[in-house]
Amino acid sequence: MSTLVASHLTRRFDARVAVDDVSFELAPGEIFALLGPNGAGKTTTLRMLTGLIDPSGGSVSIDGETMSRTAGPRLRGHIGFLTEAPGLWDRLTVRANLLVYARLHGITNPARAVDEALDLFDITNRQHDRAAQLSKGLKQRVALARTLLHEPEIVLLDEPTSGLDPESARDVRDLILRLRGERRAVLISTHNLDEVQRMADRVAVLRTRLVALDTPAALRTKLFGSRVLVRLGDTAARFAELLRPAFKDVRADDRTLSIAVDDVERVTPGIVRVLVQAGADVVSVMADEAPLEEVYLRLLERETR
Amino acid sequence: MRRVAALLGKELADLRSNPAIFIPAIITGVISIAMPFVIAIAIPYITGEQLASSSDFRVALEMYRDQPATRRLDPEGAIQAMIFQQFLILLVLTPVAGAMSVAAYAVVGEKQARTLEPLLATPITTFELLVAKVLGALVPGIALVIICFALYLGGVALFAHPGVYRTLFFPRALLTIFLLGPLASLAALQLAVCVSSRVNDARSAQQVGALIILPISVLLVAEFTNDVQLTSRVVLLISAFLAVFNVGLMAIGIRLFDRESILTRWK
Repeated sequence: MSTLVASHLTRRFDARVAVDDVSFELAPGEIFALLGPNGAGKTTTLRMLTGLIDPSGGSVSIDGETMSRTAGPRLRGHIGFLTEAPGLWDRLTVRANLLVYARLHGITNPARAVDEALDLFDITNRQHDRAAQLSKGLKQRVALARTLLHEPEIVLLDEPTSGLDPESARDVRDLILRLRGERRAVLISTHNLDEVQRMADRVAVLRTRLVALDTPAALRTKLFGSRVLVRLGDTAARFAELLRPAFKDVRADDRTLSIAVDDVERVTPGIVRVLVQAGADVVSVMADEAPLEEVYLRLLERETR
Repeated sequence: MRRVAALLGKELADLRSNPAIFIPAIITGVISIAMPFVIAIAIPYITGEQLASSSDFRVALEMYRDQPATRRLDPEGAIQAMIFQQFLILLVLTPVAGAMSVAAYAVVGEKQARTLEPLLATPITTFELLVAKVLGALVPGIALVIICFALYLGGVALFAHPGVYRTLFFPRALLTIFLLGPLASLAALQLAVCVSSRVNDARSAQQVGALIILPISVLLVAEFTNDVQLTSRVVLLISAFLAVFNVGLMAIGIRLFDRESILTRWK
């Protein structure tokens, strides 16, 4: 399984800097989300990772081999790149579209690989339709099938669920999770924060340069801290006093306690134990997590200041 | 070469689904075939005046009667042979006309349809991409010229004087159709593909590619005015020049094909 390393990637277009000193590593079995507003340099970064455009500075390497014009064609064999537009040949059938790509990737039995991809993406019944006849969602599905035909170890997806209906979007998400299960390295560039929250192991926020890079939970904690919410069967105020010696910030609101903690998973069992021992009726316990959208907006806001 | 074959297959499949693109080539082919028949067969038939009795063809007649190939023909047959041979060069234009629009859209069309980026993201090299694009335009063009040549031969065998059709099997004629023609087409198509890689409008590529028509037309006129005689040797020399020119064009094409500009600057 391959590891992709972006090291100090920089890209200038004349005087404009599109990507500035971006470094990260994409490991097998990981879903890595690249977030950023329009024009933040996400597509440029993806193009550099694929070797479609050269960086002005820095480098991309796959398993230690640097992406270059000479190595590019070979290294691209390890990558599946879903571009922003499906980019299907409209006058060709779905099957013909996939067959061309299977052959371009040098797959030994292209017909069988295409059959499998058609089956996997549930588009066998549309294989003889021209691409122009397909809906946007179906085109995206065919484009995804094309991206994964050669079973790439590194999968780069630019807006994979953009414009898809909820059911198709869920199918795509399931597929991405399956790719992680198969130990492939997956990078998603997206605006869909809900999607990132559900799937990503790590998140990079890009605004020309890397604004933040961490796990979603770590980013949340860094910006908002972590809190545990405990709903009780009785007034919460008297139990708040019990917890104050151990926790700096304990708030009571009617029947709910909100406690600031360092590590939700580590301290929650202890909190519940103390409350139960003190005779509290614990109705529910949950981690109070700021939505990723708030994390993202806060990060960009801080970057703008 | 496996990737070239894959992309060439796509190009041909794409053309099969859009046969209308060959209408200009079919028109050029029909005109190229029809013109010598009008001059050598139809006009003498309608006017009742033999070509051999026209002073316009006297020089040509003498020249052609000197050649062993046409010595056995009667005067009218010798002039017909000359006309049918000279007009062969027009057939060379057929694949150029046919494939020009295909070649001009080769890169621009992919970019406009947003199909270029996924294609470039595969292991295909620039050389393979350009070869497939040029062949995708050349192969149908050559197929068309072969069909036109077969019709031409059939027409000459049916309507011209006996023995005239044999002159179309002489090396000069065969070299013109099967060597000079494809090489001239290849040059035109490579020019068009090169330009197609640098402009974001297919029409510009088409116009530049069409420049190859100029020297061919000059050749045709020079032959009519007897300034140049397209002997086998001359055809071979021009073909050799075109072969070298084509190699150079491919090298230039690879240098000109700038993935970055195509992806980032074209809208």
